[in-house]
Amino acid sequence: MIKLTRIDDRLVHGQVAFTWVPALGVDCLIIANDKVAKDEFMKMTLGLAKPAGTKLLIKSVADAIIFLNDEKSKGLKILLIINSVKDAYAIANGVEEIKSVNFGGIRMKEGAKLISKAVAITEDDKPLLQELLSKGIELEIRQVPTDSKQMVGSLI
Amino acid sequence: MSLTYLLIALIAMFGHSEDFLGTTLLSRPLVLGPLVGLVLGDVTQGIIIGGTLELIFMGNIKVGAAIPPDVITGGVLGTAFAIISGKGPAIALAIAVPVSILAEMVISGLFVLRAILNKKFDQYADDGDYKGVQRLHILSGLLRPLFMGVIIWLALQLGAGAMKSFLDMIPAWVQSGLQVAGNMLPALGFALLMNLMFNKKVAPYFFLGFMLAAYLKLPVIAIGGLGVIIAFIVTQDTSKEVSEDEDDYSDVNTETEKPSPKLTKGDVRSLFFRSLALEANFNFETWQNTGFAFSIIPALKKLYTTKQTMAAALKRHLQFFNTSPYGSTLIIGITAAMEEQNSRNADFDAESISSVKLGLMGPLAGVFDSLFWGTFKVIAAGVGASLALKGNVLGPILFLLIFNVPHLLLRYHLTFIGYNTGTKFLQNLAKNNVMDKLTKGAAILGLMVVGAMPATLMSITTPLTIGAAKSGSAVQGILDQIVPAMIPLGLTFLVYFFVKKNVKTIYLLLGLLALGFVGSMIHLFT
Repeated sequence: MIKLTRIDDRLVHGQVAFTWVPALGVDCLIIANDKVAKDEFMKMTLGLAKPAGTKLLIKSVADAIIFLNDEKSKGLKILLIINSVKDAYAIANGVEEIKSVNFGGIRMKEGAKLISKAVAITEDDKPLLQELLSKGIELEIRQVPTDSKQMVGSLI
Repeated sequence: MSLTYLLIALIAMFGHSEDFLGTTLLSRPLVLGPLVGLVLGDVTQGIIIGGTLELIFMGNIKVGAAIPPDVITGGVLGTAFAIISGKGPAIALAIAVPVSILAEMVISGLFVLRAILNKKFDQYADDGDYKGVQRLHILSGLLRPLFMGVIIWLALQLGAGAMKSFLDMIPAWVQSGLQVAGNMLPALGFALLMNLMFNKKVAPYFFLGFMLAAYLKLPVIAIGGLGVIIAFIVTQDTSKEVSEDEDDYSDVNTETEKPSPKLTKGDVRSLFFRSLALEANFNFETWQNTGFAFSIIPALKKLYTTKQTMAAALKRHLQFFNTSPYGSTLIIGITAAMEEQNSRNADFDAESISSVKLGLMGPLAGVFDSLFWGTFKVIAAGVGASLALKGNVLGPILFLLIFNVPHLLLRYHLTFIGYNTGTKFLQNLAKNNVMDKLTKGAAILGLMVVGAMPATLMSITTPLTIGAAKSGSAVQGILDQIVPAMIPLGLTFLVYFFVKKNVKTIYLLLGLLALGFVGSMIHLFT
């Protein structure tokens, strides 16, 4: 079961290990990212950050979709982390179960606009977000679980 | 009085300089409270109020961009008004909570505004002007203490008179209600901490800590000591490799043939000292980027002598950056070593510096934030507050020492480890599962101390009696014979239950206040 799907371009860090994991009671972190899945160094550092008592799986986006649709994954309490709107779009389209996407942090870059303290959106992201919204998928911004939800739809 | 107000505003400015001082907890109520007390001529009261506020704001932590209520402004004003008006910690709390929430908005505003300066930083970087980057980083950092200092000074100068007459009007029953409510609020802090650490696997350690405190009346510091020993024993079975691992990486270090390092010990040391100002220009667009640039400049100065190369390096380090300040020096050290390779070897891929840096910042933030906020801060606050509530000046002193001795030692050495061994150190950690043991041990230790807290740091009892008015026996006496401190423990679990249900902290706070008030009025709790 996927407890939360989160976009966070720092992947696993303090907010994730320290607030989301205990608040959701998850036992498995899945990082779906094509670049990280091939990068041994990144895998090693992410392994260090893994909160005690959780499992960490690092997969390419395509593999993550296969895994999440597999019966095997149903017994796990999963926190799914991706680092971009593009990957969120791909994964939300590929996995039926995802009905809501949490926006944690997308850093500022050239051509992007901050829509919230820690979330920056580019023009290219907007049509993807609109499409997700039109499918009835909730897009909400919360850095930590105790924040109140800000809706992405009202900010773009 | 004017001089006094000025001094108090200076204390608040000192607190708001925390971003220059390495996030060393100097800004916590437990430290600033006694200082305010000193200025107002009542150190003991300052210590007690500081300890009380520390407990209530215990669960308030800064992770990432989630900014907690500003306990500096709230704590300083609350303590000052409470001492000036001659009221107790309850009044300090009644002022500190709303003020800290308001002040947090001001500070968040500043973090948004600072992003405007990023253009200027980029210009300096384009010109290879590292002095400009340094200067602006410091100036922007000074905005916060200056701005907040003025606000606090004005609040005191203009508001103290009105505040005092207002506080004098508060009837006794409100005050005793506030007192009881104030005694209940630590349950919220404990519950927030439990939320970070408590799970079925480590639950026994929580109750062990509780029983040692409740039945054996051990002080928190003894429970912390026992916790260290138990954590060692529990993680021991496989920890033989740990000692070998240390040798491993020093071997690697001596075996590899490296050209002699360009940075002297002094240079590396200055990386450490500068890292203390990592968060001085924290902003919501690029976060700690200028702090990182500021910290690494001593290395860049040595390595890059032309304007062009300096500009390229500065631009590289003005990219978005955010990590836990406590482990930042490891990344700074590793980055310095890579910059050195880059300066030596024209074929070196400079992009790899950024990718290692950005790859490390998230994971290491997870590790160091948990270790310091989840373990060291908890023990420091537990020991410090338990002494401070008795008016003992050792409270704030031990609080600072318990946190900062490990913090500064580790932070200092990590700079050298990062520079000398680069990423090999991390690979060794990963290979030997050191991290798993460390997080497990830290969780055990932290939770034992949290377990001791309801029993030692909350005084909620009931004046109820059972049976006829005169011959009846006190309920509290019966409770004490079964489980001492049963009410604080029950209350903590009640709040924890609601925290788990994701009820917002502010509602829990108001709920506890109401419960304390009503409980005091109907003589259910004292």
